[in-house]
Amino acid sequence: MSAEPAKRQKREEYKKSLAADESALPKKKFYRQRAHANPFSDHALEYPKTPADMDWVSLYPAYAAKTATEKENDTEFNESRAGDGKEQTKARGITKDVEIADIGCGFGGLLFALATKFPDTLSLGMEIRISVTEYVQEKIRALRAQNAENKTYQNIGCLRANTMKFLPNFFRKHQLRAIFLCFPDPHFKQRKHKARIVSTMLCSEYAYVLRPGGYVYTITDVRDLHEWMVGHFSGHGSFVGVEGRELEEGEVGQCVATMSTETEEGKKVERNKGEKFVAVFRRVEDPAWPGEG
Amino acid sequence: MTVPYQCLASCTRPAGDDFEWLLFGATGSQLVVQSSTGATSTWAPETPTPDVKEPARKDDDEGPPGKRVKLTPVAEPRPNFLHLRTAKDGKYLVAVTAEDKCIRVFQADAQCHLEQLSQRCMPKRPSSVALTPDGTTILVADKFGDVYSLPLLPSPVSEVAATPEPKEEQKKFAPSASVLTVHSGRNRKALEEQLKQAEKGPKQGKEAPKFKHDLILGHVSMLTDVACTTVGSRSYILTADRDEHIRLSRGIPQAHVIEGFCQGHEEFVSRLCFTNAGHLVSGGGDPDLYLWDWLNYRLLEKISLQQPILERYKGHPYQNAPTEFKVAVSGLWSVPTAEEEDDEILVACEGLPALVNYRFGSSSKSAKVIPLTGNVLDLAFIDVPEVGPTAVISIDHVHEPGSTSVVRTEPLASRLQYLSRQSGEWREDKTLSKALEGFSRAVQGDAGIDAECSSSKGDDKALRDMLYGVENLRKRPGAEE
Repeated sequence: MSAEPAKRQKREEYKKSLAADESALPKKKFYRQRAHANPFSDHALEYPKTPADMDWVSLYPAYAAKTATEKENDTEFNESRAGDGKEQTKARGITKDVEIADIGCGFGGLLFALATKFPDTLSLGMEIRISVTEYVQEKIRALRAQNAENKTYQNIGCLRANTMKFLPNFFRKHQLRAIFLCFPDPHFKQRKHKARIVSTMLCSEYAYVLRPGGYVYTITDVRDLHEWMVGHFSGHGSFVGVEGRELEEGEVGQCVATMSTETEEGKKVERNKGEKFVAVFRRVEDPAWPGEG
Repeated sequence: MTVPYQCLASCTRPAGDDFEWLLFGATGSQLVVQSSTGATSTWAPETPTPDVKEPARKDDDEGPPGKRVKLTPVAEPRPNFLHLRTAKDGKYLVAVTAEDKCIRVFQADAQCHLEQLSQRCMPKRPSSVALTPDGTTILVADKFGDVYSLPLLPSPVSEVAATPEPKEEQKKFAPSASVLTVHSGRNRKALEEQLKQAEKGPKQGKEAPKFKHDLILGHVSMLTDVACTTVGSRSYILTADRDEHIRLSRGIPQAHVIEGFCQGHEEFVSRLCFTNAGHLVSGGGDPDLYLWDWLNYRLLEKISLQQPILERYKGHPYQNAPTEFKVAVSGLWSVPTAEEEDDEILVACEGLPALVNYRFGSSSKSAKVIPLTGNVLDLAFIDVPEVGPTAVISIDHVHEPGSTSVVRTEPLASRLQYLSRQSGEWREDKTLSKALEGFSRAVQGDAGIDAECSSSKGDDKALRDMLYGVENLRKRPGAEE
């Protein structure tokens, strides 16, 4: 117990010293947090009322829309949802939409790889643990400062969120091209299975924010969880499992490779010579309404 | 002491039937029915014995985390009713009881007697029920965010088909992770526990419900209301939750497709209501009601609810209230009218001794507070010949008007109040009061909850919890970090 204030103080002092140097990379040891968070509790979370209310500019300042005017920001928030793509981007203040979400990004290994693998795509890391989110944010800030000349790492951002509850607050229908679920908390106990990041109900939400033709990438070192995720996605009417050569080719292949080698947990598994289970699912078109097909 | 009617339901029977209308009321664990002809009856569940009680399931893999089981079987009090819905022109009554999480379906016979056709206990406590537009399926939303569909009348065939397959059996023996798995120490411990459990053999899990029930959709949040509607040939399910969401899903069998969200609430959403013109009104912990063009997920208007209440009462409706008045919508009802375009609703808030009446047709907008003798608990419309739609309102005759905790020194004599439209205004209407005299009076000297419910401290709290649960949905600041 007595260790607690000392630890907090050390962390605060560290963070102060870090703020002084723009390009200094943060040290993980000052941002560790226990590996589990209860997704059912009311964390003091910040989230936009609607995707149109999201302040994307502060996450991706290099993409701030130069033409964004007060007039457009004033329009009724949900009007922007009805309009077409152009208007929407202006109202939210950036020239591009986030298209890749790394849900449960942890310390951001994959996110930083995505920054250079897909330089023209905005990727967003989402993490429920507050300190871990801070670490990723600090690292983004440092990498941006270090690479000010070639302007890399401007296309990634990280925020704290409980995606199990609030994913539709951040993304519009069919906004995303890819969702990564890398080494999620396995929640071994049966009683805790509802807290898993994959469930039939959550698959519906992933389908909502993913465009038809988009992909969900999952990786875990827990066979049981792998089977669980495969079972739930394959059993969901909005997804089909991706198999064979498709897993190795094109963007899917690139994503699978990146996810397997670049995530922090992935590296750890490598060191321990553990197994990695990968699965990819494609978001299919919604079925025709009954009687309209 | 008698218990107020915590819920009401009514139905108009088709022409040529024995009755013009039926009114159902739930008072504690009892159901009271009265028909237009004056026939009445009451129904109370048998006192459940601990072994009869269906335990909540635990081991179903879709299941929410199970609760700890009480080890000593205590004599269960009778379950209290939570919701009443009529189905198929009032041929059936769907009732939810709280403590045993049961969905009960009743049928009223020509003598107005209620017969319980089925009793199905859900894994989690239902928070709302709705019937599909065709009236054949019950949708049950629960506190764990799941929506189940149940046939209104379970057929014997489907019961057999729904017997859960023992698919989890062999899985129980397989450890979910290997020692190589790199995760936290806690997970390692969990793994050890699992292995230990596996050695002991499969543990006696709780049984899954034996009747047909399909999980059709879910939120990771407490569900507060569920509604269904059809537009053309398309059917929709709307669900509201404690995390400000209103979700629009397709109807069965495509309920896994989310069509969109009506976003904008900043506090919990507790009630959804469709108006005559097909708009959606939603209310909850926000000071405003939200009016939606829901098919386009477009907010049309925020309509202040707090403002007219504060103006009417010059502050809190209860003089000695320690805090300021906060809106917690406990009821939204669309007023049945002949003109389709004339949108009118009545709104009840928790602990408010009044209804708020809104008209938002194309012509005029108005908000009117209609003061009543006590806090409004529920409302049902009855179409009275020569009077028109009459609102039968159940009133909390136990607590002080405006307070959800202070008990009246002198309880009211009637648990009901009646309002009808008289020259454009909602006014007290006595037409039904004679007919419903018995219904409205406390069921005195009756066995059951009334006898048990002597006004000890514990019972006061139990009554309060039963009547007032909406404000509890509000998130408390600084919950944890």
